[in-house]
Amino acid sequence: MSVFIKHYKASHLLSASNVKFFRFSSTAADLPLKKEDDDEEFRVLDIVKKRQRQQRRLNKRTDIQPDRSDRMAIDQKWGNVWPGPKTFHPSSVPLPLRQGYVPKGQAPPGKKANAELMKIPNFLHLTPPVVKTQCEALKQFCTPWPELLNSEEAIEKHYPVEIISSNYCHASPSIRNPLSRVVSLRVKLSDLKLDKHARDKFLRIIGDRYDETTGLVTITADRCPAKKQNYDYVNYLLTACYFESFNVEDWEGEKTEDDMEYYDFDRNTSRKNLINWYLKSKNEVKSMSEEEYRDFDISQIDHAEVYKNAVSKIMNDGESDDTLRSYDEAVRKLLGLPQKAASS
Amino acid sequence: MYSNVLLPRQWSRFACICRYSTAVEGQKLPQNSASSDGISPPPRIRRGPTDILEALAATVGPDPTAAHYKYHDDPYLIPLSNFRKRAYALSAEAGRRAAVWIRDNHAELFNMREWDPPAKMKTPHYNADPRIDAYAPKPIYTSESKVTEEDLQYTINNSLVEDSLQVFQLLGGMEGVGGDLRVKFLQLLCFYNEKEADSMEWMEERWFASNIKERQAATWRTGGLAEKIFASIEPKTSEAYCAIIQGMAKYYQAERAHMLAQEAIEKGLVLSTDVYNSLLSCVGFLKEGTTMRTEALKATLAEMHKHGISPNQGTLTACLRSVSAWGGGRALQQLALQLLAEFKQIGIQPGLSAYYYMLCLFCKERGPKVDILSTILADLESRETLTAVEPTDTNFFITAMGVCSDHLQDINMAERLHTLLMKGDNYKLVGDAYKESIYYRHYVTVACRQAPFEKTTELLDTLVPNVYVPEPTVFEEIIKTLELGGAGARLAAAWSQLVIFGHAKRVRLVERLLQAMCSCYQYQDDEVKAKTRAAAADILSFGQLTDEEIAQKRDQRTPQAQLSAQALTNIIQLCSDVTDKADPHWEAVSEAAQRLRKEAVGVPTDPSVLSSVAQATAAKGKPGIAALCSDVTDKADPHWEAVSEAAVAQATAAKGKPGIAAALVMYLAENGFEEATTASASVLGTLLNRTESEVQQLLATPRGGLEESLHPSAAVLLDAYHLATTGVEPSRNARDSSSSDSDSDSSSDDE
Repeated sequence: MSVFIKHYKASHLLSASNVKFFRFSSTAADLPLKKEDDDEEFRVLDIVKKRQRQQRRLNKRTDIQPDRSDRMAIDQKWGNVWPGPKTFHPSSVPLPLRQGYVPKGQAPPGKKANAELMKIPNFLHLTPPVVKTQCEALKQFCTPWPELLNSEEAIEKHYPVEIISSNYCHASPSIRNPLSRVVSLRVKLSDLKLDKHARDKFLRIIGDRYDETTGLVTITADRCPAKKQNYDYVNYLLTACYFESFNVEDWEGEKTEDDMEYYDFDRNTSRKNLINWYLKSKNEVKSMSEEEYRDFDISQIDHAEVYKNAVSKIMNDGESDDTLRSYDEAVRKLLGLPQKAASS
Repeated sequence: MYSNVLLPRQWSRFACICRYSTAVEGQKLPQNSASSDGISPPPRIRRGPTDILEALAATVGPDPTAAHYKYHDDPYLIPLSNFRKRAYALSAEAGRRAAVWIRDNHAELFNMREWDPPAKMKTPHYNADPRIDAYAPKPIYTSESKVTEEDLQYTINNSLVEDSLQVFQLLGGMEGVGGDLRVKFLQLLCFYNEKEADSMEWMEERWFASNIKERQAATWRTGGLAEKIFASIEPKTSEAYCAIIQGMAKYYQAERAHMLAQEAIEKGLVLSTDVYNSLLSCVGFLKEGTTMRTEALKATLAEMHKHGISPNQGTLTACLRSVSAWGGGRALQQLALQLLAEFKQIGIQPGLSAYYYMLCLFCKERGPKVDILSTILADLESRETLTAVEPTDTNFFITAMGVCSDHLQDINMAERLHTLLMKGDNYKLVGDAYKESIYYRHYVTVACRQAPFEKTTELLDTLVPNVYVPEPTVFEEIIKTLELGGAGARLAAAWSQLVIFGHAKRVRLVERLLQAMCSCYQYQDDEVKAKTRAAAADILSFGQLTDEEIAQKRDQRTPQAQLSAQALTNIIQLCSDVTDKADPHWEAVSEAAQRLRKEAVGVPTDPSVLSSVAQATAAKGKPGIAALCSDVTDKADPHWEAVSEAAVAQATAAKGKPGIAAALVMYLAENGFEEATTASASVLGTLLNRTESEVQQLLATPRGGLEESLHPSAAVLLDAYHLATTGVEPSRNARDSSSSDSDSDSSSDDE
């Protein structure tokens, strides 16, 4: 059996050998055929009939005791009887178990000599009372949970960085598992104190490691052979990316409207048009420089904020019923037109 | 360890999500103090590598239905007798030994990898990671091995005496090994007296090793390598002196040990406490007589004081060991108490060994009752844990239980002691299989004799057979208790236990069991009665061999023990208590009666039983068995035989078998029993269906005229009557033919 365990690429190999093992036990019919062949090959002329005489000496044992499950007290502690994981054994389990496939109308075979019951892993060693006592026994090694970390929010606030790694436990001469070297670091983007530019740059640096739906940045490292090294490496990556995103290179000033990754109302002609329209409606038409346009406070325009949001939304999220409707409402408000009848 | 079927298990995966918070900017570092801010985790609770396993193991209690976990949990493989327990455990260990032998002798199979051709090269390769030294092949040293000082260091550290001797020779003896290593080697030799020690690896062998009491004789190897090495060390350090003195004292070379100690002191060397302890434990070998020895002991202690050596627990143990070895008496007991008190004053608690020697000294088998055990127990119970310091510590519990059983005969004390043994991890102090067995022998004996019946049975249920298999003497004690308690069902079950434990061939025990069964048979339920009968029948058939077995046995010529007459009588009595005529137990009765007649040893002490059985069987229409029974009654008492035969005759007559009845009465008459007169009269009455007076009348009339009118059996009865009264047989010839005709179908030929 140890052959199975040696291989590291366990998942395929194990399942394959599993199948083999089970098949071996259930198709016992193959065996006798093979045996006959062997007998043919090594037939020995038995003149003195020595073999027969030896066989007769086998005397049956008379002192086989009945199953110990018969003698078990009804108030015994099951944990003492079945303290650890092991293969099912009918004489020690005082349960009328049945398992196996049979034609319809028949009862499944009982627990004795039932390979089906022995094949499946059982959890007879982990009954609820046993789990409870084991937890009690392990309490002495546990420290109390910090009181102020009483909610998910508190935990996220005080420990924003999450490190995920796995340990593997298996029966084999070696305790090493290559998968245990993998370390992932997870942090909420909002917890990183980034300004607008840095955030933009940070997202560009980490690429697909940012998940928009959850707002989490996940950095995984598996290039180093040891877990400690990978752990140090993910920390290094986060730190490096963070500070790099604050650096402003010379060429970053050359960013044009075409390079923008999103629609910014304040930098587009829509704003100018809005201001122009506003001034026109107040009969104060004048030509303004870029500077003046930029410094103009659009909050003095009624409903300008709503309009701005609606335009940004329709440009950034694309046209949909929702965005179009909000744009419709914003424009009507801005122009002082009556709202659409709610009937449609 | 004892290979369960190992299914290829999926890698059980414990993904643990850990929140490391170190080294990331802007986060709080865990402080090494208590979590005062309520945010940082409290300091980690330090634990050893096996602490969690031990805590989990402590949640598992004993399971009385299961065998020790070293055996396979399967009805076919759970050993139930002492022999099998030993055989199974040692077999498993022999397998491990064989595996270890292969591993050591073919180490290259385990730590070399052979590459595929064409290169065929070999490189070192270890399968295990991290490498476990205990499973790695051990080096083997031969006369050709190339060794270095490191090898010697290795063999010394692992206390491989034989190997270290070999390496020492290979290194070139005294010249090759110098300085510190030579002293270490000397220490090893002195500790083990140049003999290979029992390996710690073979647990079962140590557990089942027959405990031969250590001989208190000088076994020190005089003029051996240890002494040569000691002589070669110049200048002699106190370490060397300590080693050689302790070695000599341990192996009872007392005088030389003391001489060397004197020599060392004169040289101004400081000897350790352990050296003085070993000197104290063999101080009795120097002098004769209690007073002289006491003087010597006190002188050694005074010397310790003079040199400023502080005593320890071992000193007390050594003193008491010496004192207890010098016999008994008030003076020595007084001395022991003084020692104990004085050591307590300087704050040294006596260990288990010290208490063991105290018990040896005070609780002599035929001495007056001294209850020091209760004080000792009170002291031990107050301690947190009991740790074994010396090998003799394992003697305490067995001796204490012996004292409870034989000396104090106190079940309460025994229970207290047993609770102490079961507390925590104390069970390891029970010693080995031999000591454990003696411990339970004492415990069960005292429980059988002193404890209330329910408690005893409860105890037996938990101990037998998985923890302890009673020896024959203890089993007899148990049977006695069960008999007194009137536990018929348990007695019936006791037979199957006897078979399982391998005591079924012990005739004395079986007979005792049968006797017990008989004596409490009367007042049992019908169900229990049936069980008892079945057990009795089984006892009878147990010893019977098949023809093949008899053929085998002929070669071995072992004398077959046979049940005594009394036992067979008991079986007959038990088995005959059935109402159904077709019950198979009649076979057993018949068989027992046959054996009783043919081969049984001794005489049944209670023939009335047999006679009543004979009557009963006759009344039920089993004339063959009845006749057999009444016949074997003869063995015990001819009078009873006559009584029973008369009764049987009466009963058979009533059942309509006049032939047998007549033959029986005739037999009585012929043998001159006076019962023949009354028997013939009454049988005749039954046979002819007449009243007593009519029969008397019939008997009084002279025969001749009656000859034709009567049934032939009645005629025989008449003859018998006359034979019995007058001693003369009237007309024998006339009767012969008729009687033999009528009897031909019956089994009266048994007569």
